[in-house]
Amino acid sequence: MNKIPGFLLILIFLFSACSTENEDKTPDNEKEENSFDREAMLVNWADNIILPAFQNFESSTRTLEEQTTAFIQDPSVAKLEVIRSAFRTAYLDFQSVSMFEIGKAEQLNYRNFLNTYPANTTNIREKIETGSYNLELPSSYAEQGFPALDFLINGLGANEAEIVSFYTENPNASAYKSYLEAVSTRINALTVEVSDSWHGDYRDTFVNNTSSSSTGAVDKFTNDYVMYFEKFLRSGKIGYPAGAFTGEPSPQNTEAYYANDFSKELYLKALESVQDFFNGVHFDGSSAGKSYKQYLDYLDSIKEGANLGELINLQFDTIKAQADSLDASLKEQVRTNNTPMLEAFDLLQMAVVLLKVDMMQALSISVDYVDSDGD
Amino acid sequence: MKAYFFTFILAGLTLTSCSSDDDNKIIDGEDTVVIPENYSFERNGNSTVSYDGQTTRLKMTSEIMGDFTDFDNATEESLSNMFANDNNPFSSAALNESSKSVKSKVAASNLYFSANTVESNAIKTDFEDFIATQMNAVKTNKDELAEPGIAGQIADGSSIRYVNAQGLEMNQAFAKGLIGALQADQMLNNYLAQPVLDEGENRANNEAGITEEGKNYTTMEHKWDEAYGYLYGDPSVPAEDPNSMLNESNDRLLFNYLGRLEEDADFAGIAEETFEAFKIGRAAIVAGDYELRDEQVAIIRENISKVIAVRAVHYLQGGKAALENENYGSAFHELSEGFGFVYSLRFTNNPATNSPYLTKSQIDGFIQELLEGNGFWDVTPETLDSISQEIATAFGFAVSEA
Repeated sequence: MNKIPGFLLILIFLFSACSTENEDKTPDNEKEENSFDREAMLVNWADNIILPAFQNFESSTRTLEEQTTAFIQDPSVAKLEVIRSAFRTAYLDFQSVSMFEIGKAEQLNYRNFLNTYPANTTNIREKIETGSYNLELPSSYAEQGFPALDFLINGLGANEAEIVSFYTENPNASAYKSYLEAVSTRINALTVEVSDSWHGDYRDTFVNNTSSSSTGAVDKFTNDYVMYFEKFLRSGKIGYPAGAFTGEPSPQNTEAYYANDFSKELYLKALESVQDFFNGVHFDGSSAGKSYKQYLDYLDSIKEGANLGELINLQFDTIKAQADSLDASLKEQVRTNNTPMLEAFDLLQMAVVLLKVDMMQALSISVDYVDSDGD
Repeated sequence: MKAYFFTFILAGLTLTSCSSDDDNKIIDGEDTVVIPENYSFERNGNSTVSYDGQTTRLKMTSEIMGDFTDFDNATEESLSNMFANDNNPFSSAALNESSKSVKSKVAASNLYFSANTVESNAIKTDFEDFIATQMNAVKTNKDELAEPGIAGQIADGSSIRYVNAQGLEMNQAFAKGLIGALQADQMLNNYLAQPVLDEGENRANNEAGITEEGKNYTTMEHKWDEAYGYLYGDPSVPAEDPNSMLNESNDRLLFNYLGRLEEDADFAGIAEETFEAFKIGRAAIVAGDYELRDEQVAIIRENISKVIAVRAVHYLQGGKAALENENYGSAFHELSEGFGFVYSLRFTNNPATNSPYLTKSQIDGFIQELLEGNGFWDVTPETLDSISQEIATAFGFAVSEA
């Protein structure tokens, strides 16, 4: 039932698009599309954005693991602060790679293992107490990754001393320590695996797959990118906490729930990463290369008289500007005044339409994730 | 996208033509056949359409499927009781009190199984085995990671799939298997089969307007409606105008997959054609025009059989693509659905021969190729392609269309 209205909506948009704009331009478009250098775009994506982003993130997850080990060897409030800082850095850096769920990341279900929230704290406590767990199971998505870490270093007690006591005085202290270490270690191990594959053969597999069919890298990745924006950025960070689909605001669904003042920063970082990727901005920010924006300009994509690439950037800017008015803690924002959250959702949804309908149509890419099975 | 767009236009045109025409179309032959706009037939001002029994079985199937992965509460016994409707197994009293069961109509058609109880029983046992495997081997390992030769759970994106030692999801085998063994078999090989429609005095009674005792329909009318009910009988599907809920209903069995074919430009039109055939055939019965009726039977048999074949190939190919990307969870889910549709090929009906499009031994061969050794863990792209090709060829479509 869920997918149908969306599907019809797309049809309606398609209909209006076809009847108003493209009729006299189609032959030109097709010619130009064939001459756009898709491989150069894939190379820019891989070499200047994806690989350096993973390299950077891998270094953050390694630090996170090292600081976790240091903490469990001698738990203290001071060392807790160090892990928290490593946690924040890594969680922010994760926002730059989460959209790249392709290749090894897709095989591993990387994003689900690193960032399924809300964490299932009942199960986490139970598993710590029984000492019996296997974090490789997909049924344990919500018991690991950043959300579990958030709980373990920010949510176990009301203040730092109380939290540290779980790792010192608690009868199960050693079990808490092992679990904390297992979670950190797994975040790093999975990240190393994904990063290694990009730095190994997968980079060439990706950039050489220039086919414009549904299995080509551009088509496949574009689906991943737009799906990330729709489901994980729009719905995950804003829609579910705001109750955009149910009418019931749910602060417990906020990302980084226990860190409290961190969720907006994560949201902004994700927005910035998505927009930079759209514009082909190198990970180090120094310059920009071939991108969706250039591809759209090349095809001279127009929506209602305006340049589509500029419209999309304008929409990203509007979303970021609106985010300024949000509380640093989105959980607090939901609790105190949910309307700005719903407004954010509406702006994000407009961007979804621009990306999923206008951009993908202009690039002649079919949406492959609408038709999910539902079973 | 273009394909979807085209479908939309077609649907729009169809809608327009339906609503602007006169309500009833008339085919002139020896008898005058009056074809209503919707599946609506009356005698003395009251409807003659009834298929409660089919709706009951579809509801039972939904409940069974709902419990199939409920490892905390369901057991082999509870699912088996639901399958056979023994010991008040359902949450609904109406279902418990019903004299009907799903199991009694599995592989139970007049045409294929009335004198073939050996195979009929073997097929019923297959479904019992799907239940037993799920509630024993799979349930025992539900907290283990599946590996070649070992049952357990496996990730498919944010979903968790529970598979047996060969990577097969038993719930998919059961549900997609029933599309053939229950729905297609009862429709195509039982209620639409001439020996059933024309049994005993059916023709004479139909022409004389002699209705069943206490009912408003003739036996032949009712048989036809029972076939209709297996396709359109889900409670969320409107009886008179089922296609108005195509791809929007809660049905997860045959009607759902008819909708999937409709969405594919290569097969668009099949939903309308099938509905028209049901309607014309029913109108032909009212008019006593059995030749016209049997022409519609041929259309329905071909189309419903095609739904099964196209989805079998679709999922085998989807599984192949996912295997090539080493997305095992996603691949196993596709192959499990594919397995169920392959299993269902046994119940298809080629109107040219009045028998399945592929022989039992061919289909058994496919199943063996899919499951031998460690099953989906080591099935090759070549095997999936060769099975796909054989199916597509038998049904006259291209693998790429599915």
